[in-house]
Amino acid sequence: MKIFNSIGLGNSGPSCQQCTYFQNDPSLIEAAYPGLTVMSSGFASVRDRDGLCSYNEIYLSARDSCPHFTPHGAETNLEEAASQ
Amino acid sequence: MATNTTETTGVKTSGWQEFWSKEDWWAVWLGLGIVALAYIFYLAGSSISWIAVAPGKWSTLSQLGAQLSKNGIKYLALLAAFLVLFTIVISFIGQKPKAFIKSFIFIFILSTIIYIVGAWDQANRYNLEPPLVALLLGLIISNVIGLPRWLDAGFRVEFYIKLGIVLLGATLPFTLIIWAGPVAILQASIVSLVTFFVIFLTARKLGLDHRLAAVLGAGGAVCGVSASIAVAGAVRAKKEHPPIAISLVVLWAIVLIFVLPLVCRALGLPTGVAGAWIGTSEFADAAGLAAAQSYGNLAGHHLGIAGTADQALASYTLIKVIGRDIWIGIWSFVLALIAVTVWERNETDSKVQVGQIWWRFPKFVIGFLIASVVTTLIVHGNSLADYNKLVKPSLILPITALRTWAFTFSFLSIGLTTRFRDLASTGFKPFVAFTFGVVVNVALGYVLSVVVFGHYWSSIVTH
Repeated sequence: MKIFNSIGLGNSGPSCQQCTYFQNDPSLIEAAYPGLTVMSSGFASVRDRDGLCSYNEIYLSARDSCPHFTPHGAETNLEEAASQ
Repeated sequence: MATNTTETTGVKTSGWQEFWSKEDWWAVWLGLGIVALAYIFYLAGSSISWIAVAPGKWSTLSQLGAQLSKNGIKYLALLAAFLVLFTIVISFIGQKPKAFIKSFIFIFILSTIIYIVGAWDQANRYNLEPPLVALLLGLIISNVIGLPRWLDAGFRVEFYIKLGIVLLGATLPFTLIIWAGPVAILQASIVSLVTFFVIFLTARKLGLDHRLAAVLGAGGAVCGVSASIAVAGAVRAKKEHPPIAISLVVLWAIVLIFVLPLVCRALGLPTGVAGAWIGTSEFADAAGLAAAQSYGNLAGHHLGIAGTADQALASYTLIKVIGRDIWIGIWSFVLALIAVTVWERNETDSKVQVGQIWWRFPKFVIGFLIASVVTTLIVHGNSLADYNKLVKPSLILPITALRTWAFTFSFLSIGLTTRFRDLASTGFKPFVAFTFGVVVNVALGYVLSVVVFGHYWSSIVTH
Protein backbone atom coordinates (compact mmCIF):
# COMPACT_ATOMS: atom_id res chain seq x y z
CA MET A 1 0.00 0.00 0.00
CA LYS A 2 1.29 3.45 -0.92
CA ILE A 3 0.45 4.81 2.50
CA PHE A 4 2.87 2.40 4.20
CA ASN A 5 5.54 3.06 1.60
CA SER A 6 5.25 6.72 2.51
CA ILE A 7 6.24 6.18 6.12
CA GLY A 8 9.91 6.24 7.00
CA LEU A 9 11.82 5.30 10.10
CA GLY A 10 15.48 5.68 9.33
CA ASN A 11 17.09 8.15 7.00
CA SER A 12 20.29 8.94 5.16
CA GLY A 13 21.66 11.42 2.68
CA PRO A 14 21.56 15.18 2.50
CA SER A 15 18.75 17.11 4.14
CA CYS A 16 17.46 20.67 4.21
CA GLN A 17 19.33 21.21 7.47
CA GLN A 18 22.56 21.26 5.45
CA CYS A 19 21.14 23.21 2.50
CA THR A 20 22.16 26.75 1.75
CA TYR A 21 18.56 27.74 0.95
CA PHE A 22 17.27 26.60 4.32
CA GLN A 23 17.03 28.81 7.42
CA ASN A 24 15.66 27.58 10.72
CA ASP A 25 17.29 29.78 13.33
CA PRO A 26 14.47 30.33 15.89
CA SER A 27 15.19 34.06 16.12
CA LEU A 28 14.97 34.41 12.35
CA ILE A 29 11.71 32.49 12.25
CA GLU A 30 10.28 34.73 14.98
CA ALA A 31 11.35 37.78 12.98
CA ALA A 32 9.92 36.34 9.75
CA TYR A 33 6.57 35.58 11.37
CA PRO A 34 5.44 38.54 13.51
CA GLY A 35 2.87 37.33 16.00
CA LEU A 36 4.48 33.92 16.45
CA THR A 37 5.76 34.91 19.88
CA VAL A 38 2.35 36.15 21.06
CA MET A 39 1.09 32.64 21.75
CA SER A 40 3.91 30.36 20.70
CA SER A 41 7.63 30.52 20.17
CA GLY A 42 10.43 29.89 17.73
CA PHE A 43 12.09 27.85 20.47
CA ALA A 44 9.13 25.51 21.09
CA SER A 45 9.45 21.73 20.77
CA VAL A 46 6.43 21.55 18.47
CA ARG A 47 8.42 23.47 15.86
CA ASP A 48 11.10 20.78 15.88
CA ARG A 49 13.77 22.03 13.45
CA ASP A 50 11.43 23.40 10.82
CA GLY A 51 12.46 26.37 8.78
CA LEU A 52 12.05 28.39 5.63
CA CYS A 53 13.28 27.34 2.20
CA SER A 54 14.12 30.39 0.10
CA TYR A 55 14.27 28.29 -3.08
CA ASN A 56 10.86 26.62 -2.91
CA GLU A 57 9.32 29.41 -0.78
CA ILE A 58 7.89 26.93 1.69
CA TYR A 59 8.07 26.27 5.43
CA LEU A 60 9.20 22.71 6.05
CA SER A 61 11.11 20.27 8.19
CA ALA A 62 14.88 20.35 8.38
CA ARG A 63 14.71 16.60 7.79
CA ASP A 64 13.27 17.05 4.28
CA SER A 65 15.29 17.33 1.10
CA CYS A 66 14.71 18.09 -2.57
CA PRO A 67 16.48 17.86 -5.94
CA HIS A 68 17.70 21.43 -5.53
CA PHE A 69 19.70 20.59 -2.45
CA THR A 70 22.80 22.79 -2.34
CA PRO A 71 25.20 22.29 0.55
CA HIS A 72 26.32 25.32 2.53
CA GLY A 73 29.17 27.04 0.74
CA ALA A 74 28.54 25.31 -2.60
CA GLU A 75 26.78 28.34 -4.00
CA THR A 76 29.78 30.55 -3.22
CA ASN A 77 32.13 28.06 -4.86
CA LEU A 78 29.98 27.97 -7.97
CA GLU A 79 29.91 31.76 -8.15
CA GLU A 80 33.69 31.92 -7.72
CA ALA A 81 34.20 29.34 -10.44
CA ALA A 82 31.89 31.24 -12.79
CA SER A 83 33.72 34.50 -12.21
CA GLN A 84 37.15 33.01 -13.00
CA MET B 1 10.17 26.73 -11.53
CA ALA B 2 10.68 25.37 -8.06
CA THR B 3 9.31 21.98 -7.22
CA ASN B 4 7.92 20.49 -4.08
CA THR B 5 9.36 17.09 -4.88
CA THR B 6 10.98 16.00 -1.67
CA GLU B 7 12.39 13.00 0.04
CA THR B 8 12.80 12.82 3.73
CA THR B 9 16.36 12.22 4.64
CA GLY B 10 18.72 12.48 7.56
CA VAL B 11 19.72 15.26 9.87
CA LYS B 12 23.09 14.86 11.47
CA THR B 13 22.51 17.38 14.25
CA SER B 14 22.69 15.80 17.69
CA GLY B 15 19.32 15.06 19.28
CA TRP B 16 20.83 15.90 22.66
CA GLN B 17 20.94 19.53 21.64
CA GLU B 18 17.18 19.62 22.20
CA PHE B 19 17.72 19.46 25.93
CA TRP B 20 19.30 22.89 26.10
CA SER B 21 18.05 24.60 22.94
CA LYS B 22 14.28 24.34 23.45
CA GLU B 23 12.16 26.32 25.88
CA ASP B 24 10.09 23.24 26.66
CA TRP B 25 13.01 21.40 28.20
CA TRP B 26 14.13 24.46 30.11
CA ALA B 27 10.64 24.76 31.58
CA VAL B 28 11.03 21.14 32.71
CA TRP B 29 14.50 21.66 34.22
CA LEU B 30 13.55 24.85 36.05
CA GLY B 31 10.11 23.67 37.14
CA LEU B 32 11.34 20.37 38.51
CA GLY B 33 14.38 22.10 40.02
CA ILE B 34 12.09 24.45 41.92
CA VAL B 35 9.96 21.53 43.12
CA ALA B 36 13.08 19.63 44.23
CA LEU B 37 14.43 22.69 46.06
CA ALA B 38 11.08 23.25 47.76
CA TYR B 39 11.04 19.62 48.89
CA ILE B 40 14.61 19.78 50.24
CA PHE B 41 13.73 22.84 52.31
CA TYR B 42 10.53 21.14 53.46
CA LEU B 43 12.46 18.04 54.57
CA ALA B 44 14.87 20.28 56.49
CA GLY B 45 11.91 21.72 58.39
CA SER B 46 12.03 24.98 56.45
CA SER B 47 10.38 26.35 53.33
CA ILE B 48 11.14 28.39 50.22
CA SER B 49 8.30 30.71 51.23
CA TRP B 50 10.89 33.33 52.24
CA ILE B 51 11.63 33.92 48.58
CA ALA B 52 8.31 32.83 47.02
CA VAL B 53 6.78 36.07 48.17
CA ALA B 54 3.30 37.16 47.13
CA PRO B 55 1.21 40.16 48.17
CA GLY B 56 -1.33 39.39 50.89
CA LYS B 57 -4.85 40.79 50.91
CA TRP B 58 -4.94 44.50 51.71
CA SER B 59 -7.70 47.06 52.03
CA THR B 60 -5.92 50.34 52.80
CA LEU B 61 -2.79 51.96 51.42
CA SER B 62 -1.20 51.96 54.85
CA GLN B 63 -1.63 48.18 55.03
CA LEU B 64 -0.08 47.84 51.60
CA GLY B 65 2.80 50.13 52.59
CA ALA B 66 3.47 48.05 55.69
CA GLN B 67 3.49 44.86 53.60
CA LEU B 68 5.90 46.28 51.06
CA SER B 69 8.30 47.68 53.63
CA LYS B 70 8.32 44.34 55.43
CA ASN B 71 8.76 42.22 52.27
CA GLY B 72 10.65 44.62 50.00
CA ILE B 73 13.89 42.70 50.34
CA LYS B 74 12.09 39.45 49.51
CA TYR B 75 10.78 40.94 46.27
CA LEU B 76 14.31 41.98 45.35
CA ALA B 77 15.60 38.50 46.16
CA LEU B 78 12.86 36.96 44.02
CA LEU B 79 13.70 39.27 41.13
CA ALA B 80 17.38 38.36 41.45
CA ALA B 81 16.57 34.62 41.49
CA PHE B 82 14.34 34.85 38.42
CA LEU B 83 16.93 36.98 36.64
CA VAL B 84 19.73 34.50 37.26
CA LEU B 85 17.69 31.46 36.25
CA PHE B 86 16.03 33.01 33.21
CA THR B 87 19.23 34.63 31.96
CA ILE B 88 20.90 31.22 31.97
CA VAL B 89 18.00 29.88 29.89
CA ILE B 90 18.11 32.81 27.48
CA SER B 91 21.86 32.43 27.01
CA PHE B 92 21.59 28.72 26.27
CA ILE B 93 18.84 29.09 23.69
CA GLY B 94 20.90 31.74 21.92
CA GLN B 95 19.22 35.02 22.84
CA LYS B 96 20.91 38.20 24.05
CA PRO B 97 21.13 38.24 27.87
CA LYS B 98 21.76 41.99 28.12
CA ALA B 99 18.49 42.93 26.43
CA PHE B 100 16.64 40.21 28.32
CA ILE B 101 17.78 41.45 31.74
CA LYS B 102 16.51 45.01 31.14
CA SER B 103 13.27 43.72 29.67
CA PHE B 104 12.65 41.24 32.47
CA ILE B 105 13.12 43.91 35.15
CA PHE B 106 10.44 45.91 33.33
CA ILE B 107 8.10 42.87 33.30
CA PHE B 108 8.77 42.07 36.95
CA ILE B 109 7.93 45.60 38.08
CA LEU B 110 4.67 45.63 36.09
CA SER B 111 3.78 42.13 37.29
CA THR B 112 4.34 43.15 40.89
CA ILE B 113 1.95 46.06 40.45
CA ILE B 114 -0.63 43.77 38.82
CA TYR B 115 -0.24 41.16 41.58
CA ILE B 116 -0.69 43.88 44.22
CA VAL B 117 -3.79 45.28 42.50
CA GLY B 118 -5.24 41.77 42.39
CA ALA B 119 -4.69 41.40 46.14
CA TRP B 120 -6.77 44.50 46.89
CA ASP B 121 -9.93 43.37 48.70
CA GLN B 122 -12.08 45.43 46.31
CA ALA B 123 -10.43 44.07 43.14
CA ASN B 124 -13.31 41.70 42.35
CA ARG B 125 -15.82 44.48 42.73
CA TYR B 126 -14.11 46.42 39.95
CA ASN B 127 -13.32 43.31 37.83
CA LEU B 128 -9.60 43.84 38.38
CA GLU B 129 -8.70 40.22 37.77
CA PRO B 130 -4.89 40.07 37.49
CA PRO B 131 -4.77 38.00 34.26
CA LEU B 132 -7.12 40.38 32.48
CA VAL B 133 -5.44 43.47 33.93
CA ALA B 134 -2.05 42.12 32.77
CA LEU B 135 -3.35 41.46 29.31
CA LEU B 136 -5.11 44.80 28.94
CA LEU B 137 -2.19 46.75 30.32
CA GLY B 138 0.15 44.95 27.92
CA LEU B 139 -2.14 45.60 24.96
CA ILE B 140 -2.41 49.30 25.78
CA ILE B 141 1.33 49.70 26.26
CA SER B 142 2.25 47.89 23.03
CA ASN B 143 -0.48 49.33 20.80
CA VAL B 144 -1.05 52.83 22.13
CA ILE B 145 2.15 53.89 23.84
CA GLY B 146 4.63 51.69 21.97
CA LEU B 147 7.85 50.10 23.15
CA PRO B 148 11.33 49.77 21.64
CA ARG B 149 11.77 46.43 19.84
CA TRP B 150 14.76 45.35 21.90
CA LEU B 151 12.45 45.02 24.91
CA ASP B 152 10.81 42.03 23.18
CA ALA B 153 13.74 39.95 24.43
CA GLY B 154 12.00 39.43 27.76
CA PHE B 155 8.47 38.85 26.49
CA ARG B 156 8.76 35.07 26.33
CA VAL B 157 5.05 34.15 26.61
CA GLU B 158 5.54 30.45 25.92
CA PHE B 159 8.48 29.91 28.22
CA TYR B 160 6.74 31.54 31.18
CA ILE B 161 3.48 29.66 30.60
CA LYS B 162 5.26 26.32 30.25
CA LEU B 163 7.20 26.93 33.45
CA GLY B 164 3.92 27.84 35.16
CA ILE B 165 2.24 24.66 33.88
CA VAL B 166 5.08 22.47 35.19
CA LEU B 167 4.68 24.17 38.58
CA LEU B 168 0.92 23.72 38.28
CA GLY B 169 1.57 19.99 37.96
CA ALA B 170 3.16 20.09 41.40
CA THR B 171 -0.10 21.34 42.87
CA LEU B 172 -2.37 18.81 41.11
CA PRO B 173 -2.77 15.28 42.48
CA PHE B 174 -1.71 12.65 39.97
CA THR B 175 -4.79 10.68 40.95
CA LEU B 176 -6.87 13.50 39.48
CA ILE B 177 -5.00 13.26 36.18
CA ILE B 178 -5.60 9.49 36.10
CA TRP B 179 -9.26 9.90 37.09
CA ALA B 180 -10.17 12.79 34.82
CA GLY B 181 -7.65 12.29 32.02
CA PRO B 182 -9.73 9.85 29.94
CA VAL B 183 -12.81 12.10 30.05
CA ALA B 184 -10.64 15.10 29.16
CA ILE B 185 -9.17 13.21 26.20
CA LEU B 186 -12.60 12.05 25.03
CA GLN B 187 -14.17 15.51 25.27
CA ALA B 188 -11.20 17.28 23.70
CA SER B 189 -10.90 14.72 20.90
CA ILE B 190 -14.55 15.13 19.90
CA VAL B 191 -14.24 18.90 19.76
CA SER B 192 -10.82 18.86 18.09
CA LEU B 193 -11.94 16.54 15.30
CA VAL B 194 -15.20 18.40 14.66
CA THR B 195 -13.49 21.81 14.73
CA PHE B 196 -10.70 20.67 12.42
CA PHE B 197 -13.07 19.28 9.83
CA VAL B 198 -15.37 22.31 10.00
CA ILE B 199 -12.47 24.69 9.33
CA PHE B 200 -10.75 22.42 6.82
CA LEU B 201 -13.86 21.63 4.79
CA THR B 202 -15.09 25.23 4.86
CA ALA B 203 -11.69 26.43 3.71
CA ARG B 204 -11.64 23.87 0.91
CA LYS B 205 -15.19 24.79 -0.10
CA LEU B 206 -14.03 28.38 -0.35
CA GLY B 207 -11.24 27.27 -2.66
CA LEU B 208 -8.28 27.57 -0.28
CA ASP B 209 -5.19 25.39 -0.67
CA HIS B 210 -5.15 22.02 1.17
CA ARG B 211 -2.14 23.00 3.22
CA LEU B 212 -3.51 26.37 4.27
CA ALA B 213 -6.79 24.65 5.20
CA ALA B 214 -4.84 22.16 7.35
CA VAL B 215 -2.78 24.88 9.02
CA LEU B 216 -5.94 26.84 9.85
CA GLY B 217 -7.78 23.73 11.03
CA ALA B 218 -4.98 22.66 13.36
CA GLY B 219 -4.79 26.17 14.83
CA GLY B 220 -8.46 26.09 15.71
CA ALA B 221 -8.62 22.47 16.78
CA VAL B 222 -5.46 21.60 18.66
CA CYS B 223 -3.28 24.22 20.32
CA GLY B 224 -3.49 27.47 18.43
CA VAL B 225 -0.38 29.06 16.98
CA SER B 226 1.82 26.15 18.09
CA ALA B 227 -0.36 23.66 16.23
CA SER B 228 -0.47 25.82 13.13
CA ILE B 229 3.29 26.20 12.97
CA ALA B 230 3.85 22.49 13.68
CA VAL B 231 1.43 21.37 10.98
CA ALA B 232 2.81 23.98 8.58
CA GLY B 233 6.22 22.33 8.86
CA ALA B 234 4.76 18.84 8.58
CA VAL B 235 2.75 19.51 5.41
CA ARG B 236 5.31 21.88 3.86
CA ALA B 237 3.02 24.87 3.82
CA LYS B 238 3.71 27.83 1.61
CA LYS B 239 5.76 30.52 3.28
CA GLU B 240 2.75 32.84 3.54
CA HIS B 241 0.40 30.30 5.18
CA PRO B 242 1.56 30.39 8.84
CA PRO B 243 1.15 34.17 9.29
CA ILE B 244 -2.50 33.92 8.20
CA ALA B 245 -3.19 31.28 10.85
CA ILE B 246 -1.17 33.19 13.45
CA SER B 247 -3.23 36.34 12.93
CA LEU B 248 -6.56 34.52 13.16
CA VAL B 249 -5.60 32.50 16.22
CA VAL B 250 -4.24 35.54 18.06
CA LEU B 251 -7.28 37.64 17.20
CA TRP B 252 -9.86 35.06 18.30
CA ALA B 253 -7.85 33.91 21.32
CA ILE B 254 -7.75 37.45 22.66
CA VAL B 255 -11.46 37.94 22.03
CA LEU B 256 -12.23 34.67 23.85
CA ILE B 257 -10.01 35.55 26.84
CA PHE B 258 -12.51 38.30 27.65
CA VAL B 259 -15.73 36.77 26.30
CA LEU B 260 -15.61 33.25 27.78
CA PRO B 261 -15.21 34.33 31.46
CA LEU B 262 -17.96 36.93 30.93
CA VAL B 263 -20.39 34.35 29.54
CA CYS B 264 -19.44 31.83 32.24
CA ARG B 265 -20.15 34.50 34.83
CA ALA B 266 -23.49 35.41 33.24
CA LEU B 267 -24.46 31.73 33.29
CA GLY B 268 -23.14 31.27 36.84
CA LEU B 269 -21.13 28.19 35.86
CA PRO B 270 -19.17 26.37 38.56
CA THR B 271 -15.44 26.97 38.19
CA GLY B 272 -14.63 23.37 37.25
CA VAL B 273 -17.20 23.44 34.43
CA ALA B 274 -16.04 26.85 33.21
CA GLY B 275 -12.42 25.66 33.19
CA ALA B 276 -13.41 22.66 31.07
CA TRP B 277 -15.28 24.85 28.61
CA ILE B 278 -12.40 27.30 28.35
CA GLY B 279 -9.96 24.40 27.92
CA THR B 280 -12.11 23.02 25.12
CA SER B 281 -12.72 26.27 23.28
CA GLU B 282 -9.67 28.50 23.79
CA PHE B 283 -6.80 28.04 21.38
CA ALA B 284 -3.50 28.83 23.05
CA ASP B 285 -2.36 27.61 26.47
CA ALA B 286 -1.49 31.06 27.77
CA ALA B 287 -4.72 32.64 26.53
CA GLY B 288 -6.85 29.91 28.06
CA LEU B 289 -5.02 30.02 31.37
CA ALA B 290 -5.62 33.76 31.56
CA ALA B 291 -9.34 33.18 31.06
CA ALA B 292 -9.54 30.18 33.42
CA GLN B 293 -7.55 31.86 36.18
CA SER B 294 -9.51 35.08 36.01
CA TYR B 295 -12.81 33.17 36.25
CA GLY B 296 -11.50 30.89 38.99
CA ASN B 297 -10.57 33.92 41.06
CA LEU B 298 -14.26 34.88 41.18
CA ALA B 299 -15.16 31.73 43.12
CA GLY B 300 -16.25 32.07 46.70
CA HIS B 301 -16.94 35.76 46.46
CA HIS B 302 -20.20 37.61 46.54
CA LEU B 303 -21.05 36.50 42.99
CA GLY B 304 -22.29 33.08 44.07
CA ILE B 305 -19.98 31.15 41.76
CA ALA B 306 -19.52 27.59 43.00
CA GLY B 307 -16.19 25.81 43.18
CA THR B 308 -12.62 26.91 43.74
CA ALA B 309 -9.96 28.72 41.73
CA ASP B 310 -7.95 25.49 41.61
CA GLN B 311 -10.85 23.60 40.03
CA ALA B 312 -10.95 26.06 37.12
CA LEU B 313 -7.21 25.65 36.54
CA ALA B 314 -7.33 21.87 36.98
CA SER B 315 -10.18 21.17 34.56
CA TYR B 316 -8.75 23.69 32.09
CA THR B 317 -5.30 22.08 32.20
CA LEU B 318 -6.63 18.54 31.93
CA ILE B 319 -8.65 19.35 28.82
CA LYS B 320 -6.11 21.64 27.18
CA VAL B 321 -2.81 19.97 27.99
CA ILE B 322 -3.80 16.32 28.34
CA GLY B 323 -6.78 16.39 25.99
CA ARG B 324 -5.39 18.54 23.18
CA ASP B 325 -1.73 19.63 23.35
CA ILE B 326 -0.09 16.22 23.62
CA TRP B 327 -1.65 15.02 20.38
CA ILE B 328 0.04 17.60 18.16
CA GLY B 329 2.68 15.09 17.03
CA ILE B 330 -0.03 12.66 15.91
CA TRP B 331 -1.91 15.42 14.07
CA SER B 332 1.31 16.49 12.34
CA PHE B 333 2.20 12.93 11.36
CA VAL B 334 -1.25 12.12 9.98
CA LEU B 335 -1.54 15.37 8.06
CA ALA B 336 1.99 14.97 6.68
CA LEU B 337 1.04 11.49 5.52
CA ILE B 338 -2.12 12.77 3.84
CA ALA B 339 -0.09 15.58 2.26
CA VAL B 340 2.34 13.23 0.55
CA THR B 341 -0.12 10.47 -0.34
CA VAL B 342 -3.14 12.53 -1.41
CA TRP B 343 -2.50 16.26 -1.83
CA GLU B 344 0.94 16.00 -3.47
CA ARG B 345 0.83 12.46 -4.80
CA ASN B 346 1.85 13.52 -8.28
CA GLU B 347 4.56 15.86 -7.13
CA THR B 348 6.46 13.92 -4.53
CA ASP B 349 7.92 10.58 -3.56
CA SER B 350 8.84 11.76 -0.10
CA LYS B 351 8.57 9.75 3.10
CA VAL B 352 7.00 10.91 6.32
CA GLN B 353 9.01 10.17 9.43
CA VAL B 354 7.07 8.60 12.24
CA GLY B 355 9.60 10.13 14.63
CA GLN B 356 7.90 13.52 14.39
CA ILE B 357 5.26 12.25 16.81
CA TRP B 358 7.99 12.56 19.44
CA TRP B 359 9.99 15.41 17.91
CA ARG B 360 6.94 17.68 17.99
CA PHE B 361 5.67 16.47 21.35
CA PRO B 362 5.35 19.45 23.76
CA LYS B 363 8.01 18.28 26.21
CA PHE B 364 6.93 20.55 29.05
CA VAL B 365 4.04 18.11 29.58
CA ILE B 366 6.61 15.60 30.81
CA GLY B 367 7.62 18.06 33.53
CA PHE B 368 3.97 18.68 34.38
CA LEU B 369 3.35 14.96 34.86
CA ILE B 370 6.57 14.31 36.81
CA ALA B 371 5.87 17.26 39.11
CA SER B 372 2.40 15.89 39.78
CA VAL B 373 3.69 12.37 40.52
CA VAL B 374 6.43 13.69 42.81
CA THR B 375 4.22 15.90 44.96
CA THR B 376 1.50 13.25 45.08
CA LEU B 377 4.06 10.81 46.51
CA ILE B 378 5.30 13.45 48.95
CA VAL B 379 1.80 14.27 50.14
CA HIS B 380 0.72 10.61 50.25
CA GLY B 381 0.63 9.35 53.82
CA ASN B 382 -0.15 12.72 55.40
CA SER B 383 -3.48 13.13 57.11
CA LEU B 384 -5.68 16.01 55.93
CA ALA B 385 -4.84 17.87 59.13
CA ASP B 386 -1.09 17.43 58.56
CA TYR B 387 -1.49 18.44 54.94
CA ASN B 388 -3.27 21.67 55.85
CA LYS B 389 -0.97 22.46 58.75
CA LEU B 390 2.43 21.45 57.37
CA VAL B 391 2.59 20.41 53.73
CA LYS B 392 0.38 23.09 52.24
CA PRO B 393 1.97 26.20 53.78
CA SER B 394 5.55 24.94 53.57
CA LEU B 395 5.54 23.21 50.21
CA ILE B 396 2.42 23.74 48.10
CA LEU B 397 1.67 27.45 48.68
CA PRO B 398 5.20 28.69 47.84
CA ILE B 399 5.11 26.68 44.59
CA THR B 400 1.66 28.14 43.90
CA ALA B 401 3.03 31.66 44.42
CA LEU B 402 5.89 31.06 41.98
CA ARG B 403 3.41 29.57 39.50
CA THR B 404 1.27 32.72 39.73
CA TRP B 405 4.33 34.88 39.05
CA ALA B 406 5.17 32.81 35.96
CA PHE B 407 1.60 33.04 34.70
CA THR B 408 1.51 36.80 35.28
CA PHE B 409 4.74 37.27 33.30
CA SER B 410 3.11 35.31 30.50
CA PHE B 411 -0.24 37.15 30.50
CA LEU B 412 1.53 40.48 30.51
CA SER B 413 3.82 39.31 27.70
CA ILE B 414 0.81 38.33 25.56
CA GLY B 415 -0.37 41.93 25.69
CA LEU B 416 3.10 43.37 25.18
CA THR B 417 3.82 41.22 22.11
CA THR B 418 0.41 41.67 20.47
CA ARG B 419 0.91 44.49 18.01
CA PHE B 420 -2.20 44.44 15.89
CA ARG B 421 -0.60 46.48 13.11
CA ASP B 422 2.14 43.83 12.74
CA LEU B 423 -0.24 40.92 12.23
CA ALA B 424 -0.55 39.71 8.66
CA SER B 425 -3.69 40.40 6.73
CA THR B 426 -5.71 37.19 6.67
CA GLY B 427 -7.96 37.67 3.69
CA PHE B 428 -11.72 37.16 3.72
CA LYS B 429 -11.91 33.42 3.00
CA PRO B 430 -9.51 32.24 5.72
CA PHE B 431 -11.30 34.54 8.15
CA VAL B 432 -14.70 33.03 7.28
CA ALA B 433 -13.43 29.44 7.52
CA PHE B 434 -11.69 29.97 10.84
CA THR B 435 -14.53 31.99 12.34
CA PHE B 436 -17.04 29.29 11.43
CA GLY B 437 -14.81 26.82 13.27
CA VAL B 438 -14.66 29.11 16.31
CA VAL B 439 -18.47 29.29 16.47
CA VAL B 440 -18.86 25.51 16.24
CA ASN B 441 -16.02 24.95 18.71
CA VAL B 442 -17.49 27.27 21.33
CA ALA B 443 -21.01 25.86 20.97
CA LEU B 444 -19.90 22.23 21.05
CA GLY B 445 -17.50 22.99 23.90
CA TYR B 446 -20.41 24.39 25.90
CA VAL B 447 -22.62 21.35 25.24
CA LEU B 448 -19.93 18.87 26.25
CA SER B 449 -18.57 20.82 29.24
CA VAL B 450 -21.88 21.92 30.70
CA VAL B 451 -24.60 19.54 29.49
CA VAL B 452 -22.84 16.22 28.92
CA PHE B 453 -19.95 16.24 31.41
CA GLY B 454 -21.02 19.15 33.65
CA HIS B 455 -21.58 16.99 36.72
CA TYR B 456 -18.15 15.52 36.24
CA TRP B 457 -16.22 18.78 35.94
CA SER B 458 -18.09 20.49 38.76
CA SER B 459 -17.02 17.80 41.22
CA ILE B 460 -13.33 17.36 40.52
CA VAL B 461 -11.19 17.22 43.63
CA THR B 462 -7.94 19.17 43.49
CA HIS B 463 -6.40 18.38 46.88
